[in-house]
Amino acid sequence: MEGTKRQVVILSLIESMKNCGSWCGETHIQKSLYFLQTMIEVPTEFDYILYKHGPFSFELRDSLGEMRGNMLVDLNSRFPYGPSYRSTETGKALVERYPKTAAMYQKEIDFIAQHFSNLGVAELERLATALFITKEAGKVSIEERAKRINEIKPHISVDVAAAAIQEVEKLVKEFYATSA
Amino acid sequence: MAKNSHEIRDPIHVFIRLTTDERTVVDSIPFQRLRNIHQLAMSYLIYPGATHKRFEHSLGVMELASRVFDVVTNQDNINPTIRELIPEISVEPKLGYWRSALRMAALCHDLGHLPFSHAAEKMLLPEGWDHEHLTVEFIQSKEMQEIWNSMTPPLRVEDIIKLAVGQKKLKGTKFSDWEAILSEIITGDAFGVDRIDYLLRDSHHAGVAYGKFDHFRLIDTIRILPKSNYGDGSIEPALGVQEGGLHSAEALLLARYFMYTQVYFHPVRRIYDIHLRDFLLGFLKHGKFPTNIYELQMISDNNVLSEIWQAALAKNHPLHEVAQRIVMRGHFRRLYDKNPEDLSCNPHIGQVVFDQIKEVFGQDNIRRDDYTQKENAVDFPVLRNNGKITSSFVLSATLQRLPVASFDYIFIKPEFLKDGQAWLGKNIESMLSMVEKED
Repeated sequence: MEGTKRQVVILSLIESMKNCGSWCGETHIQKSLYFLQTMIEVPTEFDYILYKHGPFSFELRDSLGEMRGNMLVDLNSRFPYGPSYRSTETGKALVERYPKTAAMYQKEIDFIAQHFSNLGVAELERLATALFITKEAGKVSIEERAKRINEIKPHISVDVAAAAIQEVEKLVKEFYATSA
Repeated sequence: MAKNSHEIRDPIHVFIRLTTDERTVVDSIPFQRLRNIHQLAMSYLIYPGATHKRFEHSLGVMELASRVFDVVTNQDNINPTIRELIPEISVEPKLGYWRSALRMAALCHDLGHLPFSHAAEKMLLPEGWDHEHLTVEFIQSKEMQEIWNSMTPPLRVEDIIKLAVGQKKLKGTKFSDWEAILSEIITGDAFGVDRIDYLLRDSHHAGVAYGKFDHFRLIDTIRILPKSNYGDGSIEPALGVQEGGLHSAEALLLARYFMYTQVYFHPVRRIYDIHLRDFLLGFLKHGKFPTNIYELQMISDNNVLSEIWQAALAKNHPLHEVAQRIVMRGHFRRLYDKNPEDLSCNPHIGQVVFDQIKEVFGQDNIRRDDYTQKENAVDFPVLRNNGKITSSFVLSATLQRLPVASFDYIFIKPEFLKDGQAWLGKNIESMLSMVEKED
């Protein structure tokens, strides 16, 4: 996806997450965009790695920084939370000038926002890690994938990892059932 | 008996002490090569003192890396959650190994830099290569491998690579939390010692006071902390500071902002990078640096500068014009730079001006350079005096207002500057309304 269109998807996601009550910190955006890109295959093509606590894209971090520099987003703060991203007037105007991109992925964006905006960071970390390992491991049993998660991230127990994998699989089915 | 501790005088850290093993690395060809690579490319044409090299910066990064390591692994400074999450931090005998590996990684983190450091690296290397990739090649070269194996205990080459380059550039490599934190000590956005050293050193040599900050206080207060500022159980470990170090952390980030705007993004420095790139595209075989490290180490800043000088003096040299621009200060002049007012009308104003003006004055007479600082690291955990951990962004009004440094310069050949200014004055309003729309 070309750079400006990727920015439009990010801006639309931020807007939708805000509407669903998300604080929209960097971790919320990182994990939500990972679900959008990997779980329901919106082709934003950010490079994700398994970082300290779950999938993380340095490329997305750089894009958010650039978007701040170009006044498309800014940061807001409220005690005791960390920084929260929000679209600026310039950012909103950019989305309006790209109506096809915004419309093409709106259903996917809204689905992700509705299901993930109210989850805490720890829960997002668990679910995103479950999805990452599922994609990496291919067709192996839930139990094996859960063990793999526990091996890489010992603070996530095998039971919790298995529950996270099941939750992710349920969400994938739900998305494709609603879009059929 | 031969001594195992050696000292090198340094203008920033006064004395840098190194072991015999570390001195063996310093004396190797890959490391000595750094004596001939300018830290700030041709910035010395604007700031005459900025002639320092990657060599002394690498020594400085090693010195600072172990200072930070000693603070964050001091058993009195370890947060209980972190002790549980990163068990390696409490295993005293292994800490010695990791300290050595970290210092070596810091020493070697810039081995792969091209002549003149970052200047036009992307265009002058084949697709998929960058200086970090070349650093990996140097660290695992036969000569360096022999050094790692001769040490007691031997250092694992994969550990040195991980810590020197970091997870951002080693995408397929898995890092433990401990390895990720150690690599952040060198490469981290907020408190990476690479950044701490280059800000202090570049500021000192350029004679620009903005880059200075109280790094002694900052390093004393750095801690590994769970980034639990959302209060919902996330325990991701990150480098943060004690509350008492918050002002020195703010000073570091302000120093970075000012150094970007005053030195790294200085328009004349940027246009010299472009002229140098234009020269190198003609000078290098196929317009690229070799990726074979043995061929690469045959080319230094000195060879290139000598060729530039000769080309500037010889009128029939194919690179005479660009060489003369560098030697005789005939650089292109800045015609346009984006500003908040223009950006609010048209977020792509730089691209629009560039596309339009090229048509009028010709592509050869116009250059564009744009860059936005990637991450200004305003969110890191702060251990407060009451024991709670809070986001720095919440606690610091300074960080909430810290801008992102960004520029978008259009340059024009000096002989066309007046005409270019007149053309821009006439046409800027219409270009501001040429807002890009979706196809």
